[in-house]
Amino acid sequence: MSFLSVRGLCLSYPAPRRFLRRAAPLRALHDLGFDLAAGERVGLIGASGSGKSSLLRCLLALEAGQSGAIRCQDRPVIAGSALSLRWYRRAVQYVPQDPVASLEPRMTVARIVAEPLARLRVEGDHARRAMEALDGVGLDHRFLGRRPDELSGGQAQRVAIARAIACRPGLLLMDEPVSGLDMTIRAQVVDVLRHLSDLHGTGILMVSHDISVVAGLCDRAMVMDRGHLVEDRPIADLMRDPHHPMTRELLNAAPPIRAVA
Amino acid sequence: MTRTLNRLTPALSRGVTLIAVMMLVGMLPWISGRDPAVSILRARMGEQNATPEALDAIRDRLGLASGPVQHMLDWFAGVLRGDWGMSWISGGPVLPGMMQALGVSLALMAAAFGVALATASLLCWPTLRRGLGGRDTRSSGAVAAGLTAMPEFMLSALFLVVFSVWLGWFPPYGWSSWSHMVLPALALGLPGGGLLGRLLSNAVAATFHERWIASWAVAGFTRGQIARAVLRRSLPALMPQVGMIMVAMTGGAIAVEQVFSIPGLGRAVLGAASAQDLPALQAGILILLLNALLIGVLANLVRVALLGRALHMGALPVPQIAPMPADRRLWLIPVSVVVVLIVLIAAGLPRDPYASQFVRLQPPDLALPLGADAVGRDVLARVAHGAMSTIGMAAIATFLSLVIGLAMGLMPRIAIGLIEVTKATPPTIAALIVVAAMGPSATGALIAVTAVAWAPLAAHTAALVTEARAQPHVRIAPILGVGPLRIVPRSILPAVFGPVLRHAMLRLPGNALALAALGFLGLGARPPAPEWGLILADALPYVERAPLAVLTPVAALALMSVLGVALASLTRR
Ligand SMILES: Nc1ncnc2c1ncn2[C@@H]1O[C@H](COP(=O)(O)OP(=O)(O)OP(=O)(O)O)[C@@H](O)[C@H]1O
Ligand SMILES: [Mg+2]
Repeated sequence: MSFLSVRGLCLSYPAPRRFLRRAAPLRALHDLGFDLAAGERVGLIGASGSGKSSLLRCLLALEAGQSGAIRCQDRPVIAGSALSLRWYRRAVQYVPQDPVASLEPRMTVARIVAEPLARLRVEGDHARRAMEALDGVGLDHRFLGRRPDELSGGQAQRVAIARAIACRPGLLLMDEPVSGLDMTIRAQVVDVLRHLSDLHGTGILMVSHDISVVAGLCDRAMVMDRGHLVEDRPIADLMRDPHHPMTRELLNAAPPIRAVA
Repeated sequence: MTRTLNRLTPALSRGVTLIAVMMLVGMLPWISGRDPAVSILRARMGEQNATPEALDAIRDRLGLASGPVQHMLDWFAGVLRGDWGMSWISGGPVLPGMMQALGVSLALMAAAFGVALATASLLCWPTLRRGLGGRDTRSSGAVAAGLTAMPEFMLSALFLVVFSVWLGWFPPYGWSSWSHMVLPALALGLPGGGLLGRLLSNAVAATFHERWIASWAVAGFTRGQIARAVLRRSLPALMPQVGMIMVAMTGGAIAVEQVFSIPGLGRAVLGAASAQDLPALQAGILILLLNALLIGVLANLVRVALLGRALHMGALPVPQIAPMPADRRLWLIPVSVVVVLIVLIAAGLPRDPYASQFVRLQPPDLALPLGADAVGRDVLARVAHGAMSTIGMAAIATFLSLVIGLAMGLMPRIAIGLIEVTKATPPTIAALIVVAAMGPSATGALIAVTAVAWAPLAAHTAALVTEARAQPHVRIAPILGVGPLRIVPRSILPAVFGPVLRHAMLRLPGNALALAALGFLGLGARPPAPEWGLILADALPYVERAPLAVLTPVAALALMSVLGVALASLTRR
């Protein structure tokens, strides 16, 4: 049984208005359909503007597609109030691209990590669970009282990951989670993610420009091209024998694959 | 469905606000709670007793028995037919007199607009010349900023003393020849001209920083051609401000007409307000509001015409201009103004502002440093106590407008219409509505100034809220389970509060001047309260014999304007 299923998802943005007349809407997602099994790690690649972030916004129920259905653990996911989506937020969490900017600058690390636990009404001792989550990403108690501007980029990204895993979601969505970090730190963060996913059985859907990151972490890759899902196969297959011209282009553009530590 | 509603919210908000204002004006006689029949009887028959029969007869004739909503609808129907009601005082129709007065006011405003344009051109000329010569185009704009802050009623009083009383160049009162027009047009046009000149200089300076200027110069265009192109590029962005300046003139004209005894719309409306002649007052307020609305629409049309297609294509280059380097000496101005005010207050506060213990209009001496006013009261004591009350009231108005501005700015899509309409309402017009509803009082002036002063703060808040909502840590909040209500105290308010608080503090001197203007016009504090505007109004009839009694409050008000300008220009850098 799949953890998350997407069927016939279409999304278009209204075109900007030009003096009374409105151009045709811009179609960002065309009839997407796929399943994510529990604990599965999937990479999502595609050229800029191909609709990767739009797909994530739909999966996060921040944006409602014009048609199509998203189900999580056999419950329908419908964009709506914070209250009606609480169960889904506990099941599916998110790690953004720019960790420093995504942490509320006036809050301490301890409060940042505990906030979703309180807001999503997770049971148990929030302070202890926040501490455990920080432990899981390799940050000790000395970081509890710091504020985001006192963290390095890699540390901030770990805090963002801790915030996302604190409520033990079944799936983590990530939009370019390591592209803002330099090479060595990138490898460390990917390690942390792999470790957490193995430990708790957390699934991952990660958008990345860097195929080496996807290859190092994921079992399966999906390729998007102008709003269409053009390939969806095990990553090793895909790299050995790309079917779609877009995939070939992306593989060629990527730097030669090195084993990611 | 929800999306359409969402898109329409701002338009709805504008429409609802306009209708609400019109309804407010239409229902003024009822909101005032004053029995019109009694006002009428008192006005027409002196002290005669109001018998119930006489009152009923009058109510019947005015159609007042029908209730507020019906009366409002009747009033609107009448307005559309050209029947704007009968004066409670004279019994005649109010419209012809108001139209005649409007003609006078429009002539005054046209002359003042000419003055404003001339002032703006003079102020902008150095910037244009420096730019054409290829030199740096930044200017401090101190003169322009100083002019901008001078309230019209204060300039009027000053010109009256200097050019009519001392130099005798122009007649002090009336409206019968060209020479009568000079001083009022100057007093009304200079502040707007200062603002326009500063905005135009900044726009021209910014345009000279754009790339195409250099290529045109290389390509051999003449200086005249470049100057025309620069102006054509700079002017459209100013049109909304030109509209605002002209709307502000409708408010300023009321004060100027009062000082120079010009039989214009403002004076007619003030007369109606002091006599509580509500039909005349309603007509006057409606004309003033329509005037403001028309000016706003015209300014927008001119802007669209000037910009042409570029407006819709999003093809305008965004000008960039480097800020002026900060200058530490700038702190000297506001600090010395505050010191002078403190000395004034310290010297005058122990003295008695109410007792008539001196000779009328007694000249200054050591025991009485600023002389006595027309009823023998100590001018120093009155100005000092006036400073306390005017600044105190301004502080209250500032605080209230801060609270309202923050609240309104947090829901910009709903409040947009209210914000726009309020921003385009001069405080004097707001005060007329308040006075019509509850009679003149210091509290009324406070309400009127607050009712207008919140709008710029709300607009500022709205801009900051939009900025804050685009921050990644706010956009991610829904995923963390933080709902739309909790996000406000968590992230939005902390980001917005500091800058808006500073903005509100900068507006305190302006609010003090607005309160003084209302006191001066008889729309605010009542005698014998020591209030700056009131002190000036009391002294004005004796300007020939005791100019110092006029100049003292004028100087106090000028200090306040300088303080406002200095503070504002300090923080803009
Ligand atoms: N809010 C929006 N309004 C209108 N169009 C949008 C909006 N967001 C995205 N688009 C358009 O939808 C398309 C897909 O955008 P999206 O951000 O999903 O691409 P992406 O694959 O994430 O690109 P990148 O790799 O550069 O982040 C683009 O053509 C984009 O211009
Ligand atoms: Mg993206």
